[in-house]
Amino acid sequence: MTPLLEVERVSVHYGSFEAVTEASIAVEEGSTMAIVGESGSGKTSLALAVARLLPPGGEIAAGSVRVDGVDVTSLAGADLRRARGRLVGYLAQDSMAALNPVLPAGLQVAEVFATRDGAGRRDARRQAVELLAQVGIQRAAEVAAMYPHELSGGMRQRVMIAMALALRSRLLIADEPTTALDVTVQAEILALAAALQAEHGVTFLWITHDMGVVAEIAGTVAVMYGGRIVEQGPAAEVFARPAHPYTQALLETVRGGAEAPPKAPFATIAGAPPAGFIPPGCPFHPRCAHVHEPCPDIVPATVDVGPGHQAACHLLGGAR
Amino acid sequence: MARYLIVRAGLGLVTIAGVVLLTFVLQFSLPGDPARRIAGPRASPEVLATVRANLHLDDSVPSQLLTYVTDVAQGDLGVSYIRRRPVIDLIMERLPATAVLAVGGLMVEVTLGGGLGLWDGLRRKRSRGLAAANVVLLSIPTYSLGFLLLVVFAYRLDLLPLGGGTSAKELILPAATLGLFGVPYYAAVVSESTRTALSASYMRTAVAKGLPRRVILRRHVIRNCLSPVITLAGLDVAIYLSGVVFVESVFAWPGIGQLQEQAYNELDRPLLMGTVIVAAVVVVAFNLVADLVRALVDPRARVEETG
Repeated sequence: MTPLLEVERVSVHYGSFEAVTEASIAVEEGSTMAIVGESGSGKTSLALAVARLLPPGGEIAAGSVRVDGVDVTSLAGADLRRARGRLVGYLAQDSMAALNPVLPAGLQVAEVFATRDGAGRRDARRQAVELLAQVGIQRAAEVAAMYPHELSGGMRQRVMIAMALALRSRLLIADEPTTALDVTVQAEILALAAALQAEHGVTFLWITHDMGVVAEIAGTVAVMYGGRIVEQGPAAEVFARPAHPYTQALLETVRGGAEAPPKAPFATIAGAPPAGFIPPGCPFHPRCAHVHEPCPDIVPATVDVGPGHQAACHLLGGAR
Repeated sequence: MARYLIVRAGLGLVTIAGVVLLTFVLQFSLPGDPARRIAGPRASPEVLATVRANLHLDDSVPSQLLTYVTDVAQGDLGVSYIRRRPVIDLIMERLPATAVLAVGGLMVEVTLGGGLGLWDGLRRKRSRGLAAANVVLLSIPTYSLGFLLLVVFAYRLDLLPLGGGTSAKELILPAATLGLFGVPYYAAVVSESTRTALSASYMRTAVAKGLPRRVILRRHVIRNCLSPVITLAGLDVAIYLSGVVFVESVFAWPGIGQLQEQAYNELDRPLLMGTVIVAAVVVVAFNLVADLVRALVDPRARVEETG
């Protein structure tokens, strides 16, 4: 079976800055892939590239993105507009900013029915209210008439999800949609996502920096660092046998907290992630505990380390 | 909301009281003697004295102020020295002409300024031509612009009447003068709001939804520009309704502004005070109206004001 999303050697440039370098991922229909990384790792740029929503100045410099067999990198004009939403939906992190502040929440869902299906005002509104109820909003008709600033963060994120359901997007990109929410609401949204996946077969590309979220929802995981995917594979496999020193360190920061004595300091990765300048060779080498001779000069090749599990590190061999 | 309205109304009264006080005191610095104006240049000293006594012009300034404020508080704006008719009637007669000019000027500035602002805001780079035009329009005083339009379109090209009446043709030039002066403000505000809307995160949501361009423009760009435009328009309506002295005098437009100018020249204190008070009331009232309308268009404004 062909994967629903196939990203092949995609590079994203903002002028002379390369935010993403030759990233390749594949997501099966009805599954969830998590992209993990720190701020500036290129995960959001990759997500925006897949959704064809890169801001002005950003461009897909190389590679191809296929969604449901359609090469979205070559779409333009009216074709691109029709493909938007239908193929790829986008859940933003800041739901307050992502909703138009001067329009009622329901209208922002209903306008999809009105513009795509030519539904009448009342019909579009009725369908929107149905969807709002479906994503777990109580008194949906009332909420539909409310403005974004009158809703809680969790409700706004549900409105965003209702929007994606209205679009019937094949692929839904979730760009840290739970980061701004408190833990209980976060758990509700994750449960809702899982329920929608079971019911409608929604495919998720879930961007996060939270390993807990990854463990909860992801079938597969890709770890990004300095614009490159340094490791990817089935989530269980990556968690059990992390192959890349960065993944290992990342998991250490999470596990250290649980197993260490209560007052022990959090495990951290020394140094800071690259910002504005990506080191040559392996991007992680300035912070890596295992740095050795080829690391600063040669970019490590991606090699198979297990079933469906790849990583890019000189310790793992591969072509020098 | 009721509390907000009461507070605003109270502040409005304070503003109006300040305007009354200041204007009343300032009018004493106008050169000339009202009594001489009324009685004529050849009037005998006895006649002048009688006129002065009748109008209480020899009383102290505070005492005159007290008399005037007492009358105004009872709704009496007094009788014009020269025209011998109640001030309120004189103003009401002029109000329709002023209102027509106000609406005309507003339409010019909102459509032209809004249109240019939208055009500029949708461009990737700001238009230098528009910026230059803005500076030019802002720098020309309305009376110069008015005379310029008058000379070119009415005198040289003979396309439009020179003025003096209130017909539709005679409205075009004064409305254009008034509107052109406001264009830079609207253009700047709309251009800025458009850029803000275009770079907003909700714009990405709208684009991601695959909405057609015209829906994005109408619902997600223009809708978000309305709030500042309404605030500006509210201020302008108020200022225009209280009479635009220069434009009305250049085009001999028989509105409140022209009346006010005549009152200055004739040292007609009750009429002058009357036009100023009406202006202050209109400005205060329309500011409040604009805020209320803005609350209808921008739901966020409601919270700030009630909460």
